[in-house]
Amino acid sequence: MENRSLIQHLIARPEFGPLVLLVIEIAVFWSINHDFLSPQNISNTLAFTVELGLIALAMTLLMTSGEFDLSVGSLFGFSPVLMWTLFNSGLTSLEVGFVAALLVAAFIGLVNGWFVTQLKIPSFLVTLGMLLVVRGTALFVTDGFPQRTWSAEGSWLAEALVGDFFIGPFRIYMSLFWFIAAAIALGYVLTQSRTGNWIQAAGGNPNAARARGVNVSGVKIGLFVLSSLMASLAGVISSLRTSAANPNSGTGYELEVIAMVVIGGTALTGGRGTIIGTVLGILILRVMRNGIVLIGVPGLAYNIFIGAIILGMMALHSWLERRHQAGT
Amino acid sequence: MAEPLIRMQNIRKSYGRVQALEGASFHVNEREIVGLLGDNGAGKSTLIKVLSGAVPLTSGDIFIRGKKVSLRNTSDAIAHGIETIYQDSALVTQLSIARNLFLGREPIKPPRFLNRMDQDAMNTVARDLLKQVGISKNIPPTTPIGSLSGGERQAVAIARAMHFDSDLIILDEPTNNLGVAETQGVLSFVRNARDSGHSCIFIAHNIHHVFQVVDRIVVMRRGKVVADDIDPKKTSVAEVERIITGMSDKEIRDAIADGKPSH
Repeated sequence: MENRSLIQHLIARPEFGPLVLLVIEIAVFWSINHDFLSPQNISNTLAFTVELGLIALAMTLLMTSGEFDLSVGSLFGFSPVLMWTLFNSGLTSLEVGFVAALLVAAFIGLVNGWFVTQLKIPSFLVTLGMLLVVRGTALFVTDGFPQRTWSAEGSWLAEALVGDFFIGPFRIYMSLFWFIAAAIALGYVLTQSRTGNWIQAAGGNPNAARARGVNVSGVKIGLFVLSSLMASLAGVISSLRTSAANPNSGTGYELEVIAMVVIGGTALTGGRGTIIGTVLGILILRVMRNGIVLIGVPGLAYNIFIGAIILGMMALHSWLERRHQAGT
Repeated sequence: MAEPLIRMQNIRKSYGRVQALEGASFHVNEREIVGLLGDNGAGKSTLIKVLSGAVPLTSGDIFIRGKKVSLRNTSDAIAHGIETIYQDSALVTQLSIARNLFLGREPIKPPRFLNRMDQDAMNTVARDLLKQVGISKNIPPTTPIGSLSGGERQAVAIARAMHFDSDLIILDEPTNNLGVAETQGVLSFVRNARDSGHSCIFIAHNIHHVFQVVDRIVVMRRGKVVADDIDPKKTSVAEVERIITGMSDKEIRDAIADGKPSH
């Protein structure tokens, strides 16, 4: 009896659906092509997964508070461009360029948050506008050309962010540890800290939260800043790893990140969010992209599968929600 | 006579050219349940919104224990010990009972910089409070508000007001949409609240519910307080209804008769 209720408890969790989907996905790809679980493939998949994942973690908190951010993809492209431009022009060292890129990102997040909370404009419109401004700036500054990057090896910054080493046959980048640390820290904030309670209340019933003295605007502005900072950090990490700074990189990432978050079980309308679910959602989409290519489906068909997964997961979540409500 | 807990004097409120309150005066004593009655549009809701800080007043003064206060927003009112409970709206349905009770005032486990909620303490207090407000069913404090019934939600909101030592609890239509047993539950919480030293303003369309719990009835009509010292023990429901409508029995009959041909 005790055992059964434990299983029921597990099934009732919102993360259960994504977990099953991920396991099925891995099993199917592996049964078709055993190379899917080879150390090299796992290492390759992980390297980029955690970069998008960093953005998705911050987006989870932001969406729990009832807002979302479409400008993350453009910041992913803009921040490394800014960092390298500063460095290449000889104005600053790489480290100072990195800090400058983060500060600019934080300011962009602040502006997003200010427009949304003080001017009461929906975050969809504000961050769509910001997407165009930031992307446009990146293209204008660079004339649309990729920035010259110097092989970043040897710089302590590059080592700390994307230094790689081997654990057995697995090639691991430092970014994996940053991702794990961020997931633990943000999961803690969301579920254990009082800030997490405020984030959920801000998304669930902002008026009630305000009436209890919660600074709803402050919480949201803080999360917009966090989202921009993480997008910027992810962009720099990706740029250092691939030794490239292309003003167009990150195009379309905002939608992929939002898809990861909602597949994991975070409500698009706010009030409910899960970091564990987001980690599963990140893996589901990235494993899908990698696996499809590996089993020989044309890469161009990728979006068909992603779209189908989003629709299927949304149907599952709404069904679980209704069953949950009916049962009480 | 001792200074009342709340005294509202000559309150005026206009929305553009519409006068919602035309110099209403109203008071609540310590440990008193006041029933606020009036027809639709009489100004009850506006008066309560002014007192709970939800809308600013156009002119007039509010005194709490004899001290003049200005209530610019709901946080101000809560800080002055005035808690308003609307059906549903004050709770976050996605959060648990305990998390709602302590929303905005969560206890922190040391060390402080980790900003970690003391969830054990929250759950223990929540469990006690639920018992106090008469929820006999064994509902764990980690249950989300979304899966509670209307009456249970009212109970949680009232429990919160009691726990944080609000001097005045305003209940706006607390028995709307509630079943018979739940209504009795809410009425008994109100009596408990008075017994433990709180004052209440009780607003309801159902005069019978008001008669069951209140110490004093105040009636509003057209933005003014027209009667503020009706003793429910010495007055009949019919008499109060007459004051609310402002018409005698004969006038009511005539009004109904007049209305008939047009239907």
